[in-house]
Amino acid sequence: MGGVSRYEIGQNAYIKLVLHALKHKTSAANGVLLGRLSGSDASPVVEVTDSVPLFHSQIGVLAPLEIALIMIEEHYGAQGLSIVGYFHANERFDDAELGNIAKNIGDHIYKNLPQAALLLLDNKKLEALSKQKEMAPVMQLFTKDASKSWKLVGSDGSSRLLLKEPSANIVLMDYISSGKWMDIIDFDDHLDDISKDWLNSELFK
Amino acid sequence: MDCHCLDVAQDCIKVLQKKFPESKRVGRLEAMLLEAKGSWAEAEKAYLSLLEDNPLDQVILKRRVALTKAQGNISGAIQRLIEYLEVFMADHEAWRELAEIYVSLQMYKQAAFCYEELILSQPMIPLYHLAYADADIVLDCFEFLEEKLESGMQGVLYTLGGLENLQTAKKYYASTVDLTGGKNNRALFGVCLCTFAVAQLTKGRNKEDKESPELQSLSAAALEKDYKLRAPSKLSLLGSTLRSLKLSS
Repeated sequence: MGGVSRYEIGQNAYIKLVLHALKHKTSAANGVLLGRLSGSDASPVVEVTDSVPLFHSQIGVLAPLEIALIMIEEHYGAQGLSIVGYFHANERFDDAELGNIAKNIGDHIYKNLPQAALLLLDNKKLEALSKQKEMAPVMQLFTKDASKSWKLVGSDGSSRLLLKEPSANIVLMDYISSGKWMDIIDFDDHLDDISKDWLNSELFK
Repeated sequence: MDCHCLDVAQDCIKVLQKKFPESKRVGRLEAMLLEAKGSWAEAEKAYLSLLEDNPLDQVILKRRVALTKAQGNISGAIQRLIEYLEVFMADHEAWRELAEIYVSLQMYKQAAFCYEELILSQPMIPLYHLAYADADIVLDCFEFLEEKLESGMQGVLYTLGGLENLQTAKKYYASTVDLTGGKNNRALFGVCLCTFAVAQLTKGRNKEDKESPELQSLSAAALEKDYKLRAPSKLSLLGSTLRSLKLSS
């Protein structure tokens, strides 16, 4: 039996997701996490190396999601990466609940990867970033345990979700103040105008 | 207020109050400021008192819906919105808001009903056709999953009934394509997805549904043309996506 998984999220993947949520403050936003399973059996690590912001409108409809997932799996599969999780930002500031849509998509990812991660944006932590330094990601981690339900990880104090680069939050705050969130493109934007690049390849250049 | 510069908003309102002391519109702005500050109870009081003088003020009635939603009371917001629509059934913005709330709660049947109302009143607006098709295609999956789970056949997602909804969805994606002159990529993708799903359902059975096989190939061709022109770096991705959707019997 393997040990309990740790989740390490890379700076670019992390920043893209938060910026996306900030770009669409008045609605829910979501994205997928790409990466790979590494580490040993005794201490497995899910490395989140990249992310793709998906939608900010009509998040419950399947058709655009199916198209997005096919394309994303195709593109990242060629790099040896796969979908390792899902990110969701709720519409309202004080809503910290993991909704059904997130759970449904999570279930779908879980079928291929039992260590699948569901990340929920923690609005209060994000707000607090401007007031004090923080090394931990501004997200809550949910995983599916043996009871087959999505449980919040870390409420017992253990931190299983880590930022790979310790300075990621500093870089994030920098981008926020420079308004970088305006440049982020999601799959919704792509479907409305296919010249928009959902890979955001130019974002960090 | 939209930028959350509440101090500026407060100052503007003070100036307006001086100039138009009895104005309902200023009263409404004051209530909205309370709402922006998160003073829910006071905002509600303010709206209710404005409604006493003018019970059919659409803007204020809708603000009350927004207020309810902002407090996280989604079922309350739905209730208020339904009551509103019983009186103002031609308010498209309200129908759209209600549909979006239903979608976020995965209540697709109810969302589809809202879009039906919108299509009936404004049949030439492609957005409504598209949204209806999107809701329909999901309805197929979830509705019949529920049925199958009830009858104990787990793991069987698609059924004959699913076929009807998929065909309806395909019709509405097609009408969106029609209304937008083939330029709406979401609808083109929708057509491809539906055709694939229908083909999956009718696998191995007598193909009663042989209508317009050209529709899928035309949609695929339109997508390829557009990607070639405007997103060439993604053309090969599109190609493999379309190929995976053509994999049927």
